[in-house]
Amino acid sequence: MSERPDSGGPAVLGVDAGTGSQAEADHLLAAVAGGLGLAGEPVAATHFVRVGTPHVALTFEVPDGAEVDLAAVAAAAGPEAGIVWGAARRGPDERVEGALAAVAAHGRTGRLVRFPGVGSLTGTVTVREVLERSAVTEVSVLMGAAAAPDTEVLTRDHVRPEWRDGAVVLVVQPAVGGRVAPFEVPNPTPCCGDH
Amino acid sequence: MGIGHGHHHHHDHDHEHSQESPADIAHLLDTAVADADLSPADVSRRGVLRSAGVIGAGVAAAGVLGAGAAAAHDSGDDERGASADRSRRSDGDYLWLAGDHHIHTQYSSDGQYRVIDHVRHANAFGLGWMVITDHGSAQHAKIGVEKVNPDIRAARAAVDGTLVFQGLEWNIPAAEHGTVFVHPGDNEVAVLKEFENSFDGVVQNATASTPANEALALAGVNYLADAVTRKRVRDALFLANHPARKGLDSPHEIRGWRDAAPNIAVGFEGAPGHQAAGLPAPTGPGSGRGFYDNSPSASSFPAYPLESYRTFGGFDWMTATVGGLWDSLLAEGKPWWITANSDSHQVYADTSVRGAGTDFNTNGFHNPPEHGGTPDLTLGDFWPGFYSRTHVGASSYNYAAVMNALRAGRVWVDHGRLIDGLDVRARVRGQNRGVTLGGVLTVKRGSRVQLAIDVDLAAGPNWAQFVAKLARVDVVQGDVTGAVSDRDVFKSPNTRVVKSFEITQTSGRVSLVYDLGAVDRPVYLRVRGTDGKRTGAGALGAAIDPNGPQMDVLGSADPWKDLWFYANPIWVLPS
Repeated sequence: MSERPDSGGPAVLGVDAGTGSQAEADHLLAAVAGGLGLAGEPVAATHFVRVGTPHVALTFEVPDGAEVDLAAVAAAAGPEAGIVWGAARRGPDERVEGALAAVAAHGRTGRLVRFPGVGSLTGTVTVREVLERSAVTEVSVLMGAAAAPDTEVLTRDHVRPEWRDGAVVLVVQPAVGGRVAPFEVPNPTPCCGDH
Repeated sequence: MGIGHGHHHHHDHDHEHSQESPADIAHLLDTAVADADLSPADVSRRGVLRSAGVIGAGVAAAGVLGAGAAAAHDSGDDERGASADRSRRSDGDYLWLAGDHHIHTQYSSDGQYRVIDHVRHANAFGLGWMVITDHGSAQHAKIGVEKVNPDIRAARAAVDGTLVFQGLEWNIPAAEHGTVFVHPGDNEVAVLKEFENSFDGVVQNATASTPANEALALAGVNYLADAVTRKRVRDALFLANHPARKGLDSPHEIRGWRDAAPNIAVGFEGAPGHQAAGLPAPTGPGSGRGFYDNSPSASSFPAYPLESYRTFGGFDWMTATVGGLWDSLLAEGKPWWITANSDSHQVYADTSVRGAGTDFNTNGFHNPPEHGGTPDLTLGDFWPGFYSRTHVGASSYNYAAVMNALRAGRVWVDHGRLIDGLDVRARVRGQNRGVTLGGVLTVKRGSRVQLAIDVDLAAGPNWAQFVAKLARVDVVQGDVTGAVSDRDVFKSPNTRVVKSFEITQTSGRVSLVYDLGAVDRPVYLRVRGTDGKRTGAGALGAAIDPNGPQMDVLGSADPWKDLWFYANPIWVLPS
């Protein structure tokens, strides 16, 4: 167990395991979240680290009163992961740097994987429901007109909004049948087996 | 032979031209190419340009800027070797050959077909040239690059009227994929194999976007240039494929490849393949057109907007955006050309399957296809020539002439047989000829210049059995502002659609003229056309492009209902 950091915003745990892709990062995020065992749907996010070999790091908001078992986090993230929690540091310097950068970015930039209400954003929901049910504060239509509240969002059970200037923005794009769908596709074409 | 005295390698050796095309002189104008890297004859020719003030001392004469007196175009009039194939068109100056430089076979892990399967289809669908480009990989470098060669040679012998190049799809270190191909010859396999083993991002474990890997990519381009200089192969070209698909090709990398070897790195795909991928499910793959359905990654260029990961009217965002990345290169005066290809791996609704017991990882190839019996509606590709075509204006029907035409930018592209022919010329008003695609028209300051566009409308059906109807032709114009200081720029501030022609004629040749007025500053022009079925404000707004291509809808993009052609640019330089 470790002491929670003393800062203005929510306490944020940073983990950098040098993960290559967003899909792998989502996978690791689920494992670490399992290790943390936090109740509810606290925010967990991914961040690009573009130092050295570009990769993805993770952040987790830790609710007041909750404790962090760094050993459990390390067990989930692997021995080569950098972990930052308050003043505590674990792992190789380079990865600790990445985790620090991710913690610094948390709430300003990055991609939210877990957030309050995400569990209700499955199947097809309206824009209004997205805004009412979840931490998403804005639905932005890429290359399209502003989304009407009744516009249907084909979630594909994969909703990954991002922070933009403090707002939690879900970027969507036109989809079949006058609906919209999140810009991020759950299983994008890997194209090409060798890459 | 030392590289300091390299042969002037990219000239069509079948006949001599008294005039030089702009691309032919590009390396002379490019001060990044040292005198020491030119042949004695080229040093002499550069001296003429220098003494004429075309290459200014201390001026970074990148690309066409200052092309001056040597701007006459290649008049290549030798068509004696031309096939009589009716699919080829001649406008009196050039033999226009449709082609495709991005095709996969059973020697790709995600491929399926024999070389001859592709060549027979491409030939039937009207292609005059094609490039076999299996993925770079450990298996391909060891096995495929050699085993595919006899298949290609056999196809050359078996099928008349289609030139078949051997190439490969390079995993560009730190970036996307690219077509690399060479002129046929004794060393075609050896050079490709050596290149792949030394510079392929997958083979070298160098795909990550790091400075070291970016440098490896440049070394690869330089290797190709050197292989030509040393006459190991007669010619080589590199074109970047699906450049915006994953945001991996940053503007500075594209500029870097081009500047490393302007005669080798000549362009990118204006439109990716996989054009059936956006057909709606369940009777289509239901994906993004071009399989463009990705999101930014840690390796992508951070400044690219999200829409860059999607196609617009089937074209890559770098090309489809008026005033975007392609235009930013043209505004610099950099020759950089676009193409359109099939990227054919597995064809939409095909009934064949990979051969039973196939084991690519062990064998380096898939067993030849067999009859599967069921049309596969999840496949996203067309056969070469079926939908996407890259038309090159060759001086004659041979491998060298096709490569020279690509290098010169005498290239236009279309989808779904939107049109049959295109002759674009910039000319001083009152004069007949002028300069065609890829060229530089040099005029006295204040001369009145016109862009003459002759379009041969589709005289017959495409391979979806309907006759495409051209609805509009747009002229795009931009100022040539010279080299940029920030090599990651991907906008051209002064480029926009300056003229649109509504086309009501339904058959024959349409002749259009855009009057530039008196030209007092260097500009470039390019032409685009559409069936008009899906247009709206362009990616940078209606003021720049009021009727541009629209972002394709994931899972709802019928490629036959949204057709475009694009032509490569012409520069007009007043002196």
